[in-house]
Amino acid sequence: MSFLFGRARSRANTADLVKQARDHVTKLEGPQGPAKAEELAKVLSQMKQILQGTHDSEPNTDQIYQLVTSMIDEDLLYLLAVHLHQLPFESRKDTQVIFSYVFRFRPPTGPQKPEPLALAYVVEHRPQVLIALCRGYDHKESATPAGTVLREVLKNEAAAAIILYDDGDEPGSSSRGIGGIDPDRPQSGRGVFWSFFDWIDKSSFEVSADAFTTFRELITKHKDLVPRYLAVNFELFFERYNRVLVQSNSYVTKRQSIKLLGEILLDRSNYNIMTAYVDRGEHLKICMNLLRDDRKMVQYEGFHVFKVFVANPHKSVPVQKILIMNREKLLQFLSHFLEDRTEDEQFIDEREFLIKQIRNLPPAPVPPQPR
Amino acid sequence: MADDGIVNRYQVLEELGRGSFGVVYKGIDKVTGETVAIKHIDLESSEDDIQEIQQEISVLSTCASSYVTQYKASFLRGHKLWIVMEYLGGGSCLDLLKSGNFNEVQIAIICRELLLGLDYLHSEGKIHRDIKAANVLLSETGKVKLADFGVAAQLTYMKSQRNTFVGTPFWMAPEVIQQAGYDFKADVWSLGITAIELALGEPPHANMHPMKVLFHIPKSPPPRLEGKFSKEFKDFVAQCLVKDPDHRPAARDLLKHRFIRSAGKVEALQELIQRKRMADARADHVKHPVYYQETLHTISPRDEADEWVFDTIKSVAPPPPPPREQRRGTIRSSNVRRPSASIHVVDDALRKLDLKEAPLGQPGTPPTVRRATMLRQPSSAATGRQDSVRRRRSNGASHSPRPSQTPASASAAAAAAAAAAAPKRPLQPDMSFGNSGSTMRLFRRVPSDGSDHGRFRSASQSSSCEFADENQPPSRSPSASSFYAHAAPPVEPNSKEALLGRRLYTRALGPCLDELHAQTAASSKRDALARVSDALAYLDAVDPEGAYHLMRSLVSALGQDHKLSAAFLPQHQQPSSPPGGNAHGRNPSASSAISSARPDYSEGYSLAAGSGTVLIRSPSASRPSTATATSSSTTLAGTPPTPSKMLRRGSLAPPEHHEQQLLQQQQRDRERDKERERERERERERERERERERERLESCFPGRPAQPGMEHCKALSDLLYARWTDGLRARWGVLTNS
Repeated sequence: MSFLFGRARSRANTADLVKQARDHVTKLEGPQGPAKAEELAKVLSQMKQILQGTHDSEPNTDQIYQLVTSMIDEDLLYLLAVHLHQLPFESRKDTQVIFSYVFRFRPPTGPQKPEPLALAYVVEHRPQVLIALCRGYDHKESATPAGTVLREVLKNEAAAAIILYDDGDEPGSSSRGIGGIDPDRPQSGRGVFWSFFDWIDKSSFEVSADAFTTFRELITKHKDLVPRYLAVNFELFFERYNRVLVQSNSYVTKRQSIKLLGEILLDRSNYNIMTAYVDRGEHLKICMNLLRDDRKMVQYEGFHVFKVFVANPHKSVPVQKILIMNREKLLQFLSHFLEDRTEDEQFIDEREFLIKQIRNLPPAPVPPQPR
Repeated sequence: MADDGIVNRYQVLEELGRGSFGVVYKGIDKVTGETVAIKHIDLESSEDDIQEIQQEISVLSTCASSYVTQYKASFLRGHKLWIVMEYLGGGSCLDLLKSGNFNEVQIAIICRELLLGLDYLHSEGKIHRDIKAANVLLSETGKVKLADFGVAAQLTYMKSQRNTFVGTPFWMAPEVIQQAGYDFKADVWSLGITAIELALGEPPHANMHPMKVLFHIPKSPPPRLEGKFSKEFKDFVAQCLVKDPDHRPAARDLLKHRFIRSAGKVEALQELIQRKRMADARADHVKHPVYYQETLHTISPRDEADEWVFDTIKSVAPPPPPPREQRRGTIRSSNVRRPSASIHVVDDALRKLDLKEAPLGQPGTPPTVRRATMLRQPSSAATGRQDSVRRRRSNGASHSPRPSQTPASASAAAAAAAAAAAPKRPLQPDMSFGNSGSTMRLFRRVPSDGSDHGRFRSASQSSSCEFADENQPPSRSPSASSFYAHAAPPVEPNSKEALLGRRLYTRALGPCLDELHAQTAASSKRDALARVSDALAYLDAVDPEGAYHLMRSLVSALGQDHKLSAAFLPQHQQPSSPPGGNAHGRNPSASSAISSARPDYSEGYSLAAGSGTVLIRSPSASRPSTATATSSSTTLAGTPPTPSKMLRRGSLAPPEHHEQQLLQQQQRDRERDKERERERERERERERERERERERLESCFPGRPAQPGMEHCKALSDLLYARWTDGLRARWGVLTNS
């Protein structure tokens, strides 16, 4: 075998490298698994070198082009994503680097697409690569490298759409590529996007925190895609968000997701989502209970969601009802709410504003004027 | 949760050290029997993004090198994050420096190991960004390892550069300070500074103010190693400290340097550890190990009356949504009670439960059990670290700048004693073993609860009571005011006036008196001032409301007298002059660090001042220059998240006058004479500023008539308030149209 490597290294036959990698990766689960993993590690590190260049040599664009196209031909991206958690420590990092470079590579000549070459192929013909990368969160070993690749890729709107609209074999799912997506069909809730809720809530801290970071990127980056998605899947999304994330037993998940909720609601592009959200009485209830959490940072993050309800000039009847019923309690409560936060002037101002708003509520709910 | 199993895997033993990020314990992995270091980070006391902590962990967890402290695991326990790391029994190089400087042979070994570590990190696309003796740990056998990845950066593009301003001033490379974009070479510079630190005991310019150093490093020629050292060593340092990063060799190249090639084996470093142990043994203080104790977290049962009332009265309510309500009940079985019958029960118990149980604004306050332990033996473990710091600094203390923390409100004697007792360099945190923690957060967390809190803490430290409750009303000169403290119990402020009174004291009176005291030289005058300060502290403790009324009538009396109001209140009509920005912000005589620092702030940088590693955030898209009145409305009404989040997290970008206060405080001792006049001017202006702000705040309470002579303020604050609410309304309106 060793002469083979020698040849590969000296001639740098990139297509061969890819074939070897494919060969090894498919046998990882077999009886020769450990040996194959070792050989694969060598191949991957050579591939990384081709993409990165070395200390002495700049990367060669032709070689990279060849590498990228043969990875596409051999479906190596998918195989690597699926087997990521089985690779040795260093190879997982190498694979992460390889993915990052491959997904960024644009051929210097020829027609340019909005997406880089490999990414365009994946979103159009092989969305399973991205799905498999998400599934990297199933394993502690692959969570960080897969997450790092995902966050880079998700800056691309098409890639984000693939993940949001994945819905197995349902019609309109992204599984047949970006062109097959039907954005107006409500999701079943079984697609890969919905698994993020479980990864965030149920995994160990490292996996959970990484998955949350990716989730946040997915939800906040794309100002056209996400509002539309949330509008169609409003019930499903917020029911799950509130049940799994906001009420999570994990302190970090709870606090982070309340904060993210505030960010989602206050994002200008989500205006319609926000108005729909703050009309719901049960959303306000969840939020008011957060104000009474035992942990002050949870209270604080909860406050920044609560203020949206109170500051809303068109409060719905259920929301007014709750606020009016609790008016005295709220006034009493808010006047002492987080009162040690004396340095946070903006918070104090906002708290005063809310007190004033609540004090000036009408004695009984008044239906809001049509907007 | 998934973390449950792993929690029980580790047995936590004694404390190794603590910093504002949390506590480091020694521990044992019950499965392997291995000794580990366990860092507990209290996430409740951390304002900043948990994401940043996660960033540190992800950088750590992808490192596998014998030159880097090995990360083992991390998991959550309640709101504490435990990070399990390899245990290194030798301590940090800064610790070891306390028993004497290192010789050249030792430094060569350490530098070689560090270069190997850096070469590894750099080849992985990581920049450490905070290389210094405090972050270099030794194992018992002398192995050298890089620690503290609190500010490390991961580059995803191999050739990309960073622009973030991060590190610790004395060790920072010029290109980092200038934010010109930097890469791995920045670590090489810091290594050169560290080599000097190991040889001389402190980095170059150590007697300079850290803020000033920031301006000094890029301007002046690179530091050189002077003294009786070999040519090779001097040349090695000079190679590291090439100002142009393009001409500075990489870590890999430096491994070929003669100084490094001739370095010996790491076992030789065991000598250093032995020496430290001998020194510790000679020192007469006995170390009492502090053992970890589980915090008993009892959640007091809540009354049904405490809960919000959601759906009792059907007559008021349109049909409630019962099915979901049912489900909520099962999910949140702990907290949600069925609604009670009584609606308008206003309960004091509620308030007590919610606020006393979660005392706020005191980051880093250890759980109750621990604190009790420390209080009982304040002289040993708690001060041991200070002792050693003191010893190390004793020779430098005479010329090193007086720390900002000097508790000036104390009586003269106490102040002098305190100044001698806490000669910590500003921006140089307690760096004994384990405390090197995560310097980035350390740095940002300290000031987040306000500069005056920081002073309280150090004041209580000087009275050798490190873990005093910061929540208690500030009776700050322990010797003198202990009389008062016994005389009457402090009260909790519970009215608007009392809250403002307390705020008046903590924000205005206290700091002002501190400053004035620091500026006063004559001991009799200092004494008099100290008495005033004590009296005011006492008043604040027992009757903050009284303090409020005193100030109110003072101000209105001033307003009624023409001359006095001209002298003290001339700028009341200027609503939004940036705090402190006129007199000195762009003063031509801006040779002092502080005035040259100022323009940076006004351009929208937020410098979190404090001690340790600096992190300056890049300017957010828009930083409203007018007062909070406008910024509040933007946040409430939903601007794009980036700027509003920056604003919302007030502590991430502390209000400018806090930084200013702190900086000035630090600056003052050296610049005293030059600055005094301007200082007082600023001082007065700040007071006016606070006064205005208070007025505005008050005007939010409806129905408050204007005090005689204060009509103009009332008008102004009404105007501001109206503008705020209008802005809010306008914002929502705009959104409706879009």
